[in-house]
Amino acid sequence: MRLAVERWDPGEDQIEVQRAPEPGVAGGAYRAFGETLRGLKTTFARVIEGVHTIQYPEQKVAVYPRFRGRHKLHRFEDSDLEKCVGCSLCAAACPADCIRVVAAENTPELRISAGERYAAVYEINMSRCIFCGYCEVACPFDAITMGHDYELSDYNRGDLIFTKEMLLAEPLDQTPLRAQGE
Amino acid sequence: MPRPQPSEITFSIDGREVKAPEDMMLADAAKLGDIEIPVFCYEPKLGPPVGACRMCLVEIEGMPKLQTACSTAVKDGMVVHTRSERARVAQEAVVEFLLINHPLDCPVCDKGGECPLQDITFGWGGGKSRFIEPKRHFRKPLELSPLIAIDRERCILCYRCVRYSQEIPEDYQLVLLERGAESFVGTFDGHPYVAPFSGNIVELCPVGALTSRPYRFRARPWEIEDAGSICTLCPAQCNTRLTVRDERVLRVLDRNHPEVDDGWLCDKGRFAYQAMHVDERITSPMIRDGGVLREVGWDRALAEAVGALRRGGSATAALAGGGATNEEGLLLGRLLREVLGSSHLDSRDGEAVSLPHWRALANPKLAARVSDLEFAHAVLVLDCEPLDDMPILDLRLRKGARRNGVKLLIATERASALDSRADAAIRFAPGRGAELAWALAAALRGEPVDAAAQAAGIATDDLHALADALRDAGREIVILYGERVLDGDPGALLALADALGLAEQDGGGLLGVPAVANGRGLREAGVTPNAGPGLGLPALAGGHGAREIARRLASGELTALYLLQVDPVLHYSDAELWERALARATTVVAHASFLTPGLREHATVIFPAETSPEKEGTITHPDGRVQRLRVAAAHAGDVRAEWRVLAEIIERLGGAPTPPTARALSEALFEDVPFYGGLTLDGLAGRGLRWPELQVSNTLSDAYEEAEPKLRKPLRAAKGKLLVGTYRSIWAAPEVAASPALAFLTPRQRVELAAADAEALELRHDEAVVISDGEREVRARVVLRAAAPAGTAFLERELEEDGANVLRGPHVTIRTVASVEAEAAALIAAEEARAAAETETLAQAEAEQVT
Ligand code: SF4
Ligand code: SF4
Ligand code: SF4
Ligand code: SF4
Ligand code: FES
Repeated sequence: MRLAVERWDPGEDQIEVQRAPEPGVAGGAYRAFGETLRGLKTTFARVIEGVHTIQYPEQKVAVYPRFRGRHKLHRFEDSDLEKCVGCSLCAAACPADCIRVVAAENTPELRISAGERYAAVYEINMSRCIFCGYCEVACPFDAITMGHDYELSDYNRGDLIFTKEMLLAEPLDQTPLRAQGE
Repeated sequence: MPRPQPSEITFSIDGREVKAPEDMMLADAAKLGDIEIPVFCYEPKLGPPVGACRMCLVEIEGMPKLQTACSTAVKDGMVVHTRSERARVAQEAVVEFLLINHPLDCPVCDKGGECPLQDITFGWGGGKSRFIEPKRHFRKPLELSPLIAIDRERCILCYRCVRYSQEIPEDYQLVLLERGAESFVGTFDGHPYVAPFSGNIVELCPVGALTSRPYRFRARPWEIEDAGSICTLCPAQCNTRLTVRDERVLRVLDRNHPEVDDGWLCDKGRFAYQAMHVDERITSPMIRDGGVLREVGWDRALAEAVGALRRGGSATAALAGGGATNEEGLLLGRLLREVLGSSHLDSRDGEAVSLPHWRALANPKLAARVSDLEFAHAVLVLDCEPLDDMPILDLRLRKGARRNGVKLLIATERASALDSRADAAIRFAPGRGAELAWALAAALRGEPVDAAAQAAGIATDDLHALADALRDAGREIVILYGERVLDGDPGALLALADALGLAEQDGGGLLGVPAVANGRGLREAGVTPNAGPGLGLPALAGGHGAREIARRLASGELTALYLLQVDPVLHYSDAELWERALARATTVVAHASFLTPGLREHATVIFPAETSPEKEGTITHPDGRVQRLRVAAAHAGDVRAEWRVLAEIIERLGGAPTPPTARALSEALFEDVPFYGGLTLDGLAGRGLRWPELQVSNTLSDAYEEAEPKLRKPLRAAKGKLLVGTYRSIWAAPEVAASPALAFLTPRQRVELAAADAEALELRHDEAVVISDGEREVRARVVLRAAAPAGTAFLERELEEDGANVLRGPHVTIRTVASVEAEAAALIAAEEARAAAETETLAQAEAEQVT
């Protein structure tokens, strides 16, 4: 048995579709071939330019000096004390909430930083960092800066939480920098 | 003095019409119109304003100069401008001026992020400074006390901490030293600022000059969560705000409740949170196995406890104390009465108080509020030391006396910290609070007082002077009594209340200080031998009080004991009896956080107890305010909710099922306790509700028949002996000993003597002595106290070592350790001489035999 389906009447909601005028034969042909050729112009131009592929990882892309890559924590060059005082301002500034600082007090026997306090724990979760550089801007002691390294992949999310020791250490490879005007 | 009833006025501020109570300070009144006036030195809790910092300058029409809003009272029709050009220039100038010497070391400063100086500089400062001169320098940070660090460079000389010390605890320790630009905060001779309420200055300081050493650098405001909670370390149940980071409590702040704590905390409440996260804390269940306590899993421990309790059956008794909640009390009552068939449960030391007495004492007409202490005509402190028993009330009593002229009358056995504030103070013989109450009632009614006065050990003149002071003070009188006064004869207090006509007064009444934090709540939830939940008739009659439980355990009549956060050997009097009782008991199941002496030796099963930040439930303040505890931090280690443990035991023993959630359990409590009817958890919210003020509360009848006084025999002086009285110090708590920051305050036994007694016994201050009641001995150091009553030695109760709980009294002898040792040495020498003589005779006899 078939149910009689009543036709739905859209009533006042009905709208009229307005179409552009048909392009006609010549216009249609231009659309089909002219536009495509225009696009292919770029393709052919690149073909003439030659190979652009970089043989990563043997070869690396050089970055601009202001490139924001993996962070670095710094020490004072003369006294070797850490510049970071564990103030957590970077953590407050971080929009991705990926910095964790636990501060502690310096003692005369154990002096880690120049101020009264130091960062006993300093961790950045690189898997959450969006490399905005706000932490660098927030730091009142220039203790943290954005470095140039971008090779941060790993097999394990846990290993992407960078500890203070990792951030204080110099990275193994130096990322090449672009020379001026390059 | 009755509470002030200010009239309402209208004034204009920055073009807004605002209504405010007359004579409110402008800085507060502005807030009613949503306008903020920056302040540093102004803090209404500290009493009258001093106008020290000038931050609050505003322009008032009709006044030629700018005025300090913190010390100008609003008047009808006043027109105030806080953002006019003149005011703005002045505010910027004050900020600039305050920063002249400020080091601006916000990144290393602990106050950073929650600092009024930062906020006000940002909001009202000019953004730059013209001062390039060198700033003043101090050595920093220094220890103001083991709990507080001071950084004098950051101090803006607002005076708050100094005013606090002088006006609130009135210890007069903090002062501003030097003058003018050289001024700095310190104690006047440089000793550390150690006082029961010292931590409050950390919260008062508007900059990072005073910081808490245990909290220093632990967290920033944006890394923490705030959680409202309640301190359950004493009956004051102060409202607190916990700073929680990574599920650990890192700091305790006050959560101003004018009806409870008035915005202050004692140092125990402020710093003993550390005991939550120490290694000594019990965080997993233990059972005694081959004589030693061993950590086991929950299943094993529960099975052990259930088996033992099943064997114990109706020969089981239970005690509750500490911060056990009302709900835990309710379940403990159900476990004992409904499942095990025993009614022997109690939540206070001593003999049981009868049900009619409890009901009469809980009569809402007799109930005083905490704030009544501040506005009554007179307060009688009866047989308690507020500073030790309910510390925060010490501050409230001082406030009432200082600001409102409340007459403070003190009747205690031991010299009180409030004596210097009191209008009259009398001392009675140790333990004779009830007799004193009878004597006072008789004096007020104009009846003969001699017998009662003699039994109480006071002179009739003193008694009449106190009675006259009470009579003349006015109508509204609050009696703040320690529950010890109910020992002996609970009717005495009711007779005194009746003689003063307290039931007819709105602003007066009784306020009892129980020995444990939730003493009142546990009683009302049914943890008392002769009453069920809501002080109703118990499901089972014939229950015994704590002291009788001890006797019956010792004699073997009772065999099992369930301890909810209490160790009777440590907390109850007559520790020796309890030792024997626990040793004889075959089963001792305990909920505890620390291995106190009784549990270490005798517990068979121990469940880890929760601390208040881990708990969910309700507790009842001594003035009847039901307050709500919420979970603020995760359970440490293997700790489980205690009510769930009780529920599990009830279920395994075949009892009726317990509601499945903490919320449902609280609702069951409100149903079971008639006068909690009408309460809901949401209604309690963060401030709690006083049930004596609820409409449904009149379920307790007024009918109470006064009986004849029961007077004990007077205590007579004995030659060469002293009477012994005991007290518990504010610092006598396992939590204090376990908190690294507070450990230095852990009390050692000391014996307080009057100078005359010490002279007669030839004892010097700080001399090591042995106090003995003939059988048991306690070691102590002599402390001479000017105000100590002659003829009585006072010793501390509830210490882990040498606690006075072991002494039975009423008389003790005191000898120096040196003399005791000399005697022992003499005895040994005599013994050796005798032995030597014996060997000699033996040798001679032998020699004779040989020949
Ligand atoms: S670069 Fe941005 S996202 Fe990454 S740690 Fe710094 S503030 Fe956070
Ligand atoms: S890196 Fe800089 S901002 Fe972050 S905690 Fe250290 S000192 Fe503070
Ligand atoms: S230490 Fe703090 S509270 Fe005390 S005067 Fe200085 S700024 Fe004010
Ligand atoms: S007075 Fe009592 S409740 Fe208040 S903070 Fe101190 S110990 Fe806690
Ligand atoms: S707040 Fe008014 S003078 Fe300090």
